[in-house]
Amino acid sequence: MFGYYLQLALRNLRRNPGLTALMIGAVALGIAVCVMTLTMYHAMSGNPIWWKNDVLYAVTMDFWDPQQPNDEKKPELPPTQLTYRDAMAVYRSDIPARKVIMHKAVGILSVDGQALKPERVTTRVTTKDFFQLFDVPMQYGGTWTDAADFGPEPVMVLSRKMNEKLFGGANSVGKRIRWNDNEFRIVGVRDNWLPLPAFYDVNNGSLEDPEDVYIPFGWNVALELQSAGNTNGWKPEDVKNYQDFLGSEMTWIQMWVELPDRAAHDKFKAFIDNYAMEQKKAGRYQRPLNNRLTKPDEWLKVNDVVSNDDRILVGLAFAFLAVCLLNTVGLLLAKFLNNAPLTGVRRALGASRRQVFMQHLVEVGVISTIGALLGLALGGLLLMGLRALYTFDVQDAGGTQALAHVDMTSVVTALSLAFFATIAAGLYPAWRIGRIPPATYLKAQ
Amino acid sequence: MTAWNIRPIASALWRNRTGALLVAFQIAIGLAVLVNAVYVVKQRVELIGRPTGMDTDNMIWVASAGFTKNFDYDSSWREDLATLRGMPGVKAASLMSNIPLSGGGSSNGFQNRPGENIPPKEIVQGNNYDVDEQAVEALGIKLIAGRSFQASEIQPPSETFELSSQAIVTEAFAKELFPKETNFVGKTFYGGLSKPIVIVGVIDHMLGAWVGWDKLDHVVLFPRLKNGPTAIYLVRTEPGRRDAVMRDIEAKLGDSNPGRLLRWVRPFDYFIDQSYLDDRNMAIFLVSVTTALLAITALGIFGLATFNVSTRIRQIGTRRAVGASRMDIVRHFLVENWMVTTAGVVAGCGAALGIGYWISVKYELPRLDLYYLVGGVLTIWLIGLAAALQPARRASAISPAVASRTV
Repeated sequence: MFGYYLQLALRNLRRNPGLTALMIGAVALGIAVCVMTLTMYHAMSGNPIWWKNDVLYAVTMDFWDPQQPNDEKKPELPPTQLTYRDAMAVYRSDIPARKVIMHKAVGILSVDGQALKPERVTTRVTTKDFFQLFDVPMQYGGTWTDAADFGPEPVMVLSRKMNEKLFGGANSVGKRIRWNDNEFRIVGVRDNWLPLPAFYDVNNGSLEDPEDVYIPFGWNVALELQSAGNTNGWKPEDVKNYQDFLGSEMTWIQMWVELPDRAAHDKFKAFIDNYAMEQKKAGRYQRPLNNRLTKPDEWLKVNDVVSNDDRILVGLAFAFLAVCLLNTVGLLLAKFLNNAPLTGVRRALGASRRQVFMQHLVEVGVISTIGALLGLALGGLLLMGLRALYTFDVQDAGGTQALAHVDMTSVVTALSLAFFATIAAGLYPAWRIGRIPPATYLKAQ
Repeated sequence: MTAWNIRPIASALWRNRTGALLVAFQIAIGLAVLVNAVYVVKQRVELIGRPTGMDTDNMIWVASAGFTKNFDYDSSWREDLATLRGMPGVKAASLMSNIPLSGGGSSNGFQNRPGENIPPKEIVQGNNYDVDEQAVEALGIKLIAGRSFQASEIQPPSETFELSSQAIVTEAFAKELFPKETNFVGKTFYGGLSKPIVIVGVIDHMLGAWVGWDKLDHVVLFPRLKNGPTAIYLVRTEPGRRDAVMRDIEAKLGDSNPGRLLRWVRPFDYFIDQSYLDDRNMAIFLVSVTTALLAITALGIFGLATFNVSTRIRQIGTRRAVGASRMDIVRHFLVENWMVTTAGVVAGCGAALGIGYWISVKYELPRLDLYYLVGGVLTIWLIGLAAALQPARRASAISPAVASRTV
């Protein structure tokens, strides 16, 4: 029976090609816009490290101005970064299974004896757990030792991209390289890794590529580095030199810890609260005690990584899909009623209401399948167009990578949504046509 | 009113209400989206197009990064600036700490009297830049009082964000600091630790670093050299010579000093466009999706009208046969369609206002202006009329003979 209905459906669709094209076009367009927007939204709002969501925590502490919070709009939140002195003090705790303190910097890479021009690279100055804590995949080698962190030893991890540029993608572990004219030894090459949104440092754009180069944390003091992210302060201080800067109330260090269970979480929380209480006695931390351990999903939310624009776009996409589907219902209804005399004949010849309903539903299914497939292809095209909008500079094509891979989750979501929505949209017209008393239309003939 | 036959049209419509309701629903969504899209797009376009106070079309930014240990920053910037200033087509060149409208910069809280316990509300935020004596000319900003910096006043680089004792400020910043004054030159304001700063010049307008910041026009220029080893040069060219000068700079500075990397030579537009990229894309996206949505809605109206005509061929023929003119038929369908559109518009007004309210709260924007709603309603009416015109005219072409033919 299904084969016969399919045949009927195809014949009916061919009877008025204009109307059919209009319906399929409306479905396809609605799905395309939805796929595009959902992909974009997903790239910006997903939790890129969901599998470790219950053990990773961003550490923030409120030592801000006693007279006003860091952010007037969110007075309950401490600043997103730590001061150097607090980060160093809290880092000493051995309660966390893994811990990282870090900041971003910019350097110039050069290789002795190579004709390549020196290369400007974004750099993460970090302690050694960075790679294991965030599950960063390695192509060659690995991270450095504990001792290298504050020594600091001249060791470095390169990104795969930079390794391909400088060493043609070969295993470069053990090779020498110069960063801001200081010699470093490569100990590892990080594989392709693109956490979206970039959650571990919310100073930069959420679609930003991870850094090209990683060096031990102690190099900030050794080379008197400043953060390439934001450095914020609240207190007027007489900062004359780098030592003053390290001891100041300026925030520029990000801290994350891995706490395997509830007990470790509570213990570490007690530890930082205790530290803050001691600092209170020394005259700092004059705000009410407010230290936070924030999980990645919560972190993305409180830091507004998903902007209002994205929410509007998703709303718009669904409004668009709704209009497309309403349109399809209207067109289907018109089409089925147009063919009502034929249906009348079929009913008079003995087709049951159920059979007429099923036949029309098959027709709807054909339309929604073709529409969904076309919509997916069109959505891909639109995404390419969107990428062109966001590609700013070939060299700095950071975030565009994010939109390059249409992820399966949003495709499946949009596709099944569209398919079932169209079927649902077809239910009413198919039911309505089955209710028609055959005699009316037979008479009209 | 009887000439318009409102009542019979309405009752005919009511008998086939499903299709009409579907179209009305589409129109409601269409109106809500249209009104709010125009509202948001207008805000964005105004944001992108607001005056910067600078001669943006003829400005070039150059970044040079010294990276070798024996790199001599001091002689490097002197040499570079001399080269840049000597190039044909260059009006002025200056060493600056940051690039306005680029999203990167430095800001500080300032106050109009010394003291440590000033209430936070009286602290005025300012976006500060370290500049040299050619900055006013190179930025193309307009001094409305006082003077520019002299070469002898430019202080050596500071590694610790130190403030200077003199400043050129925007009028907006000065007004906020000294609300009751009109003449700001010679006035003293204070930075952190009550460091006194004397205003030597006032400029009418200039935008700072962060395009999303509401204090964007609070700019403070300090006479100080940018710290090394990265230098940022601003070059202002004679009108129309920007691109040629950029090529010259690449050629002249590219290999002049092996101890540094000429990172880039970029027009000012590059940074401005990048800062407004999201706003621009949002506008493009809204305009295209809204257009597509209205087109689909128009198709829906067209489809409904066509369907209504095709199912009433005999009735139309009968009406024509008993004396209705072609105009009467056209009017019938247009009025019928207008009723559907209006039903949608009424529902859509509520949705448009609701969404508009939500957006104004989310973005902290002024409330949706009712003009937008009026404009939206008129647009939708016009679209509805245009979409129904062709089916209505086809209906009027039906011959009266149809009435007698098939019975």
